[in-house]
Amino acid sequence: MTGMKTTRQKIYQKWTQAHIGRKLLWGILAVLAVLALYPVFFLTAGSLMGNDELKNYLGAVIAGNEGYVDFPLLPKFPTLKNYVEIFLDSPEFFVMFWNSVKITLGVLAGQLVVGIMAAWGFAKYEFRGKKIFFLIYMILMLMPFQVLMLSDYLILDKLLLTDNLWGIILPGIFSTFPVFTVYRFFREIPDSLVESAKLDGAKEWQLFVYIAVPVGSSGIIAAVVLGFLEYWSLIEQPLTFLKEKSLFPLSIFLPDITSISKSGMAFAASVITFFPALLIFLGGQDYLEKGIMAGAVKE
Amino acid sequence: MKNKRLKRAAGILLSTILILGSFAGCTKKDGGTEGSTSSNGAGENQEGTAMGRFLEEDVELPIVLGNIYDVKKLEDGAIRMIGDNGDNGNKEAWDSKDSGDSWEKAYDFPEELQDADNGYIDYGALSEDGQAVFVYNKIEDSGIKPVIYVLDKEGKASVLPFEIPQSEEGMKALAMDIQFLGNDQLLIMDINNTVYQVSTADGSVKQTYEFESSEEEVRNYAVGKRMLATIGTEPLSYDTENGEQQSTEEVLQKSLSESGNIDAVSTLDGGESLYYLTSKGLYHYQFGGNVAEQVIDGGMNSLGAPAFYPIALTMIDEQSLLIAANDENSESPTGVALLKYTYSPDVPAKPEKELKVYSLRNNRELGQSISRFQKENPDIYVNYQVALSEESGMTVSDALKTLTTEIMAGKGPDLILLDGMPVDTYIEKGILRDLSPVLKESEGDYYENIINAYKDDEGQLCAVPARFKIPMAHGSGKDYTPGEDFDTFTSRQGVLAGVDPKILMDKFWYTCGASWKKEDGTLDASKITEFLTKMKNAYGEYDKSIEEDERTLSYAYANNEGIDVVRLTSLSWGEFDLLAGKVKVNTGLYESQEYGMLNAVNEKLENGDWGLMPGQSQNVFVPSMIVGVSSKSAQPETAEQFAKYLFSPEAQKVSQRGGFPVEKESFLSVIDGHEYEGMESLISGGSAGNSDVHISYAMEPTPQEEIQRMTEMVESLVTPALGDDVIKEAVSEQGEKVLKGEISPEEATEAIMQKINIYLAE
Amino acid sequence: MKKKRKSMRGFLWIFPSFLGVLLFYLLPYADVIRRSFVGAVDNHFVGLKNYQMIFENTAFLLAVKNTVLFTVICIPMLIVTALVCAVVLYQSKYGGLIKSAFLMPMALPAVSVALVWRLLFHSQGLVNHWLGKFGVTESDWMNTPNAFWILVFSYIWKNLGYDIVLWMAGLSGISEGIYEAARVDGADERQIFFKITLPNLKPSLYTITVLSFLNSFKVFREAYLVAGDYPHESIYMMQHLFNNWFRSFSFDKMAAAAVVESAVLLGLILLLQKAWDSGDGYETG
Repeated sequence: MTGMKTTRQKIYQKWTQAHIGRKLLWGILAVLAVLALYPVFFLTAGSLMGNDELKNYLGAVIAGNEGYVDFPLLPKFPTLKNYVEIFLDSPEFFVMFWNSVKITLGVLAGQLVVGIMAAWGFAKYEFRGKKIFFLIYMILMLMPFQVLMLSDYLILDKLLLTDNLWGIILPGIFSTFPVFTVYRFFREIPDSLVESAKLDGAKEWQLFVYIAVPVGSSGIIAAVVLGFLEYWSLIEQPLTFLKEKSLFPLSIFLPDITSISKSGMAFAASVITFFPALLIFLGGQDYLEKGIMAGAVKE
Repeated sequence: MKNKRLKRAAGILLSTILILGSFAGCTKKDGGTEGSTSSNGAGENQEGTAMGRFLEEDVELPIVLGNIYDVKKLEDGAIRMIGDNGDNGNKEAWDSKDSGDSWEKAYDFPEELQDADNGYIDYGALSEDGQAVFVYNKIEDSGIKPVIYVLDKEGKASVLPFEIPQSEEGMKALAMDIQFLGNDQLLIMDINNTVYQVSTADGSVKQTYEFESSEEEVRNYAVGKRMLATIGTEPLSYDTENGEQQSTEEVLQKSLSESGNIDAVSTLDGGESLYYLTSKGLYHYQFGGNVAEQVIDGGMNSLGAPAFYPIALTMIDEQSLLIAANDENSESPTGVALLKYTYSPDVPAKPEKELKVYSLRNNRELGQSISRFQKENPDIYVNYQVALSEESGMTVSDALKTLTTEIMAGKGPDLILLDGMPVDTYIEKGILRDLSPVLKESEGDYYENIINAYKDDEGQLCAVPARFKIPMAHGSGKDYTPGEDFDTFTSRQGVLAGVDPKILMDKFWYTCGASWKKEDGTLDASKITEFLTKMKNAYGEYDKSIEEDERTLSYAYANNEGIDVVRLTSLSWGEFDLLAGKVKVNTGLYESQEYGMLNAVNEKLENGDWGLMPGQSQNVFVPSMIVGVSSKSAQPETAEQFAKYLFSPEAQKVSQRGGFPVEKESFLSVIDGHEYEGMESLISGGSAGNSDVHISYAMEPTPQEEIQRMTEMVESLVTPALGDDVIKEAVSEQGEKVLKGEISPEEATEAIMQKINIYLAE
Repeated sequence: MKKKRKSMRGFLWIFPSFLGVLLFYLLPYADVIRRSFVGAVDNHFVGLKNYQMIFENTAFLLAVKNTVLFTVICIPMLIVTALVCAVVLYQSKYGGLIKSAFLMPMALPAVSVALVWRLLFHSQGLVNHWLGKFGVTESDWMNTPNAFWILVFSYIWKNLGYDIVLWMAGLSGISEGIYEAARVDGADERQIFFKITLPNLKPSLYTITVLSFLNSFKVFREAYLVAGDYPHESIYMMQHLFNNWFRSFSFDKMAAAAVVESAVLLGLILLLQKAWDSGDGYETG
């Protein structure tokens, strides 16, 4: 009896210690989380302010006034004027929005086919030089865009793809990052499952369609979400490969915030740009986590 | 077995292609959005080149017109024009029965409209049956009173019994525009953007349209029975029978958002369809239709020229039209031009040769030269691309990156204006052709000291300034003496006070920056510290109140909106501050002859004088409109032909404040004020903002001594200012902080060197 | 025979992807290698001169130094912070909300981030405003060595959520059984963490490191959007240099630097793989 009690006391003691420590940690985490979210609040609040209010708060930066920027988390005189201005008075905004949609969907659709097939190949097949190929894919994944910028442009130019959305979409499709992401996932599919399906007479493509894709779906969705975030906020490629303004995507639409009359629009545009990414993100978060998780777990 | 594998591989590939192909549709559509700007009625000849284009010609008039109020094709087929005779100011109506080839006077305006002492005609318009209407602003003791006169076809006048109602805000009742709606009604717009639809019979108001827009310009046009108003580029259509707004013409709206606001309209079918003119050219739009078709591309003629302001447009038929315009650079001495455009099916829709010309910022002189060059060479189309426009939001860096890729891909411009670009780097990398043969061939006589600004060791001229600006200073004797050095000048504490610190930094960067470069290409830090320390001494304490200054605020505005920032560093910009005593010494770039103004201001100063701006370098000039031909150009001969034109006296004489010509004869013609000869009564003047400082002076030819002095000054210029934007930005950013007293000159130098060292090391 | 056939089959899956990679990545890369041996605009063969040039170029050396410093500092920082957060969040049912908050910055477009950053870290910006209330003197954040730490902060801010999720994935892979057994053996929390949790997370570390490394390049976007071509020297990265070289037609130096950089990347990956040899099974053979 006494022995039991001491153990329980010990456990209790430990629990309280841990409890206090944990509370502290939780507090820190909560603060960090708010910090992480601050820019989102910031942008939302700014997008709901009129130009006068913004000028009042941000004058120090945008108009070169004395003093400091001040920024409350809630607008004093909330207005939808900025949104109205974007939706009604800026036809170019819509054009850009659709360009972003085209680029992102185009790339993702292509990646879904090409990238996943490659991932399947890397994950479940053996062939000569696979190691080298995978290494190449890894290095290309890590290569900054600037390295290949000029040569990429010259090749796209030869293919008549500059100043064309395809010039952004096609290289995007063959990005090696989704291969890497989905690969990690396909590795998790037990070989026994594949083998038994083979013994049942399944053909190669059937293995892919009926085993790889469904079992790996959350990994694939994770890749899609990551891909969406990446291509939705693409900057360097469109700036380099596109010249025609009517082809610009939303991600490079930044009305000059230093301009007093346009700062409100800049905020609203930011929020609108963020919104689809947020939706995709919230919708895909569980998959994203599962996808990222499953891939990271050791067999 | 092997076959099967192949088939499978093929299948995979095929499916990939199919999937890729299935969303190919999405980008194909993009081409379609530009379809609205295709050329009109362009047929194709056997070789497949589209044929047919409108050609421009000047209409020869029997008199020099000082002003045109309106020009219109009447119901009987004649063309009537109302305007002022430029020689004597007589106001006359003229008719042409042969589509503008010959003209005869229809009538002189009646006495009451000719009266120039008690008022003036502000607006005038014609109806299709030949009536005319005028807004005559009568000057009375209580102010200006607009009287509306209606003239019948023969010129018999009657006053319309209609007065523009006084608005509640107490704004003066002034007419801002007038025109006929049909033959028996008028549309009169007042200063509050209210449009009155008035009957010519009895002056009764049929409809009233109110537009509230403080920011964007409101214009209105009568098209058949429709009133078309534009707020900015937003078109609104009204039925004038009942005054109701009609559904939005979305196609027109989209077209205007791309091509800019309407400047003039005309119709051939009673208003079913609309011809309209914008700075991009002439367009045709069928109301309710789905396409706004570009009929004339303004880029190929005067319509797109920068100083071209259309007054009236009238369609003669589908293949010819007349446009009256104020065109600062027309052949006409008064700048009023009547142009005729005729469709010619035998010339290619686009000239065979296309020359690509590029500049970072819009250059008005270049725009003007392109327009003229094309007129003289109808087989060449000059495609002028301006990288940084007001709305593009592109940075210089982005623009240069794009330029680099294009040049490397062989798709770059043929001729480049290098202003704001790293000229030395471009020369060093060998992307520019030597232009010295072009200049040798040219008939002009040039200021060698200026055109050799970028001469390299081998005597090559890969970049040549076609114009130049002179950094100058102006002040009273105790504050400034022409020719004094930087040390003496800046030793007077507070001599430069009152100027916006950033603008001041930009100005003195020109006269000092050139002395900082050491032999090895790096910057001399001690010189920068010296510069900043002395500038701070000359500037004195920063006075925060200048932030409230209206003109400084408008600077912030201009700077942010990307409008012509260059002007703010000009000498003439600061003259009013000098006059008002806000600054002791006015400094800035002298870009065009302003003798009248300088002299008038000078008379109010004590022992005042103007001359070169002091600086660490002496005798500095700012190369401007720097011409370079790409070494990767596919058509170097054509590019050189255009470059040669830019240096020809004809092109050099065009001056729109972009700098003085490098060609000697043109330089003289630009500074001698010959255009004011015999116009002694011409008085110019102005006032600064809302202050009560006012100045007026006579516009007259420049005195011989002054011409002499300027010529000698120009001949003495030896040092080209640094044109490097990266260094300039760094200096101006840090220098502003020094002048504001936020950091010390040493700290600023460190920050500048830190940035610039990286730049120079690259 | 059988093995050989299998090898072909596996490659067929990769073939379409490889074709695109070849066209859009390897071919341009080959062009870059070629350019590293020729002059910038005239295309004359210059041997190793370009390589020699970049190693004498102080801007290049500065960029290399900064990039290495940034990587060496921020990746371990991110990984450790994320691990701590992950361990805490993993043990709680209510961690989801906070985790979502941490993930949110990932979805925020770079342009929007840059907008906020500019207003925060301007010399008259919000951060100075707040600090001023505590009597701290103002600082022009982006024009002082602090810029480097702002960049580190923004990198961690943006990627923390991602790495937390990755760590949590690793944690979920450790079976409860091992913990049970340890507790029965009387191990305390600390011992459990260091003796069981950490060793079992080792395989995840490889993936997390590679992905964190990948994301470290993306921070350039924000740096560029906030501070432009010539930021404070402490945040002058390889990409700045590449961008500026590009603009001034210095393709010779650019290509040489690119080749050097990819060689370093290759070495790094091989090194990582070797270090985690026992780990994830990436060295598929």
